[in-house]
Amino acid sequence: MSSSRSSTKRAFPEAGLAPLIDALQRRLDGWIRRRGPVHPPFTLGYRQIYILPTRFGWLVGLLLFAMLLGSLNFNNNLGLFTTFLVSGIGLLSMHIAHRNLDGVRIAAVSPGQAFAGELLPLAITLQDTRGRGRSGLVAKIRGGDTASGSDLPSSASADLKVSIATEQRGWRELPRIRLRTRHPIGWFEAWSWFWPAQRVLVWPRPAEHAPPLITRGNSDDHSQAGDESDEFHGLRDWREGDPLHRIAWKASQRHQHLLARQFTRPERERIVLRLTDAPGRTLEERISIMTRWVLEADRRDLDYGLELGSTNVPSGRGEAHRVSCLDALAAYG
Amino acid sequence: MNQTLSSPTVLLVVAAFLVAALPHLTAMPGWLALAIVGAAVWRALIALLDLRRPGWLVRSALTFGGLALVILHYGTFWGRRAATVLLCVMVAAKLSEMFRLRDARVVATLGYFLIATQFLFSQQLLLFGYLLVGCALVTAALVRIQRDADEISPPADDGAPDGIRVARLARDGTMLMLMAIPFALVMFTLFPRLGSPLWGMPENALDGRTGLSDEMSPGTIANLFADDSPAFRAEFDGLVPPRDQLYWRGPVLWRFDGRTWSRLFYSNRAPERTPRPNDGAFAYSVQLEPSERRWLFALDYPVGAPADARLSADFELIRKRPVTTLMSYDVISQPDFRDAPELQQTLRRIALHLPDSSNPRTRQRAEELRRRYPDDEALIDAVLAWFNQEEFFYSLETVPLGRHGADEFLFDLRVGYCEYYASAFVVLMRAAGIPARIVTGYQGGLWQPSDGYLLVRQSDAHAWAEVWLEGRGWTRVDPTAAVSPTRIDQGARSALSDGAGWFGAEWLYQLRNQYDRLQNLWNKSILGFDAQRQRDFLARIGLDDLPTGARAAVLVALAAIVLVPLVFLAQGLARLVRKTDRLDRGWQRLRRRLQRAGVQPRSGETPLELAARSTDRLTNADELITLTEKYCRLKYGPATAIEEFDRFEAESAAWRPSRLNQSPLKQS
Repeated sequence: MSSSRSSTKRAFPEAGLAPLIDALQRRLDGWIRRRGPVHPPFTLGYRQIYILPTRFGWLVGLLLFAMLLGSLNFNNNLGLFTTFLVSGIGLLSMHIAHRNLDGVRIAAVSPGQAFAGELLPLAITLQDTRGRGRSGLVAKIRGGDTASGSDLPSSASADLKVSIATEQRGWRELPRIRLRTRHPIGWFEAWSWFWPAQRVLVWPRPAEHAPPLITRGNSDDHSQAGDESDEFHGLRDWREGDPLHRIAWKASQRHQHLLARQFTRPERERIVLRLTDAPGRTLEERISIMTRWVLEADRRDLDYGLELGSTNVPSGRGEAHRVSCLDALAAYG
Repeated sequence: MNQTLSSPTVLLVVAAFLVAALPHLTAMPGWLALAIVGAAVWRALIALLDLRRPGWLVRSALTFGGLALVILHYGTFWGRRAATVLLCVMVAAKLSEMFRLRDARVVATLGYFLIATQFLFSQQLLLFGYLLVGCALVTAALVRIQRDADEISPPADDGAPDGIRVARLARDGTMLMLMAIPFALVMFTLFPRLGSPLWGMPENALDGRTGLSDEMSPGTIANLFADDSPAFRAEFDGLVPPRDQLYWRGPVLWRFDGRTWSRLFYSNRAPERTPRPNDGAFAYSVQLEPSERRWLFALDYPVGAPADARLSADFELIRKRPVTTLMSYDVISQPDFRDAPELQQTLRRIALHLPDSSNPRTRQRAEELRRRYPDDEALIDAVLAWFNQEEFFYSLETVPLGRHGADEFLFDLRVGYCEYYASAFVVLMRAAGIPARIVTGYQGGLWQPSDGYLLVRQSDAHAWAEVWLEGRGWTRVDPTAAVSPTRIDQGARSALSDGAGWFGAEWLYQLRNQYDRLQNLWNKSILGFDAQRQRDFLARIGLDDLPTGARAAVLVALAAIVLVPLVFLAQGLARLVRKTDRLDRGWQRLRRRLQRAGVQPRSGETPLELAARSTDRLTNADELITLTEKYCRLKYGPATAIEEFDRFEAESAAWRPSRLNQSPLKQS
């Protein structure tokens, strides 16, 4: 709900139209604010909630109308009662659908990660502010598939998942999200539009065919598969976080607890991926190839850095490094 | 959107369909009902056991097979029964291809329609229960379908017994339905009714189970005797006629072809003169059950016809349209009236006509009587005395008559009921030269003293005779009364043998009489509520002279007033039932008691911290800690049996803090 109500209270009765225009202006501001992008958290009030019968609801309405006409015509009182009872159920369901959204707070919209062309997952965190449980809340994005719905227990929170289609790398605005419910019987749909004022970075699409990584001095087949090429050093107790494939199963069985193989790598390969090295006619093609290289280097567990001209990413490895490299590629240019 | 149905949903939809179709199933031929139930069970089994789905060939075979069966049996799709049976068959066929949400929705919604169509056949009180249960189940099915559409899985198996889990499925629907009842009542009372129908009713709604027909041959009323269902109820304003005057006049039959008595078309003209009511007249209102016939029944002699009916020359009341729903009408009857002081020659000829060369023995008997009793009245008395003194018996168990029906009955069989006696008597009268005719209708009825109405059942159907006497006009003679006075005093039931089984048991009969009192109340207050009653009601609450727009506004306002608080109530109720809320309420109660005992909860404190902190204030803090641990386990831990919640609720309600070192100083 907008808080614009609490502002100015003017005492110029002689100003004539001024208070009216002022009120109009405030209303317009509120209207734009209600419909423009908003930062979560954002609570849905009755002014943000729309409700209309679903197609199925219209059909039921038609059926009820027929039942009404028939019962009236034959003065069939129980038929009439049935008609009114079912209409009452329908009207109740309308109120319930509305109340199901009223007072739901969109606490956060957390975008996931995706390469261009993939679906980007969004997690929408909902909270109940009215102390009553909600059922069957569904988030939908224009053009996207409807994700599964969720219940929201009273005074608790729940996550809804949607995914948005991506086409290009780079920053993009989050689309308007339609939060809707057809609870309880699907005759009415209450919905509210929510436009989070947030941006999300879409990673570039990795090229399908990229030239092999140019590693220093060595040919590719020699330096394949980091683990096998490394020297076996010994066993140590397994610690949380060790990859599963490092577990020495046979030895662990003998010792009754998990042991992990330890490797030493005397000298780690270090490469720098340069945008200027990447072949390609356009910048996008080259970025695409760079992306593939980053993924490849990450897969091989190499130390790698980026040189993109204006932005550089110092050498490193691991998940966080990969993400910062991809982010740099996504935001480049 | 998800398009697949979960198996609990399928079961609920199938159950809702079966309940909605139940009265229809009992009314259709058994094999068809079995086929429909079979299709429903099959669909349920597919869902339960994950069987293979039927292919399109099986599905279309089911659909067209069902269509063929209906048309074979009913010969038409037109008419209420055939149409509703067809609807049941089609929905059952639809079940076999109900694998998408949309189909399930269609099936469930048609459940409402099936329920409404049942009331075209009967609106008995018992069916109100069917209405409520059916609507609740259909609504529950719709709720489940929507849950499936939103891909919300059914509540996890929390170890509750199956019965409880099934009940929970139906709970939401029942709640919605209950909440809608007040709204429905307001609409029912205030929604404008039609004074006259927009279009007519299709015929043949009662599956051939009808009241009196307009023909009679001995044996036709017999099927009515076993039918204890009400024909009509009458309420008298003031005077109630004595029992032997309770002859409810129906069709008057003149023509006789040797076997069957039928009406005279000429009777349809208006009467030449009508009785004028005086102090001895009876005013009463009749609530007539649907009969598919146009006959209205009145005591002798109605002074006029109710609206949309007319009075025939034989003082029959004939309605313009068949009576297809419960209807009520007011009549005034004047018993003291001379019907046709003069008899036209043509009518006299018809009233004396007998088929040639039939019933020779009866004719011979009539001639003997005529010779002995030249006076008509003396002759009639002699015949009645003959019936009374010789070996004539009144019984419902008799045999059909042949070509010389009157002969066979009067001289050989001598066992029969009203139709046999009336028919033979009229033949005898005609043979003796006395103009005579048969009147069919009902006789007597059960007086319900506490509610002051007379219940006339189908089994009270009766046939008697009227003879035309010089100076007296048409005069009623009931030969059955001469044979079996109890028939007139106690009704046809007295003739039913005791071997009628449990159905005829006396206590059951009494129970049914009691039930009929409820039914009568129901008929009067709910079913009899029509445009006229609505106007009366509105006049009483002062809303009658409002223009239509204002009345609509009142309607909407009232509906809103009724509906809106209900939504809040509904949610409140729903919360009562939700177990997590029960948990929280228990916990809040503990917190309040702690607060009162001086342990103030701090913000950001976990329940366990709070409980631990209370140890230096309370002596029984260890109990509190146990309870708090239980609360946390139930709230945040894995799913637990519902009994655990109950136990927590009980224990938390029972726990009281007992303070440590309660010194009087601190208390002040």
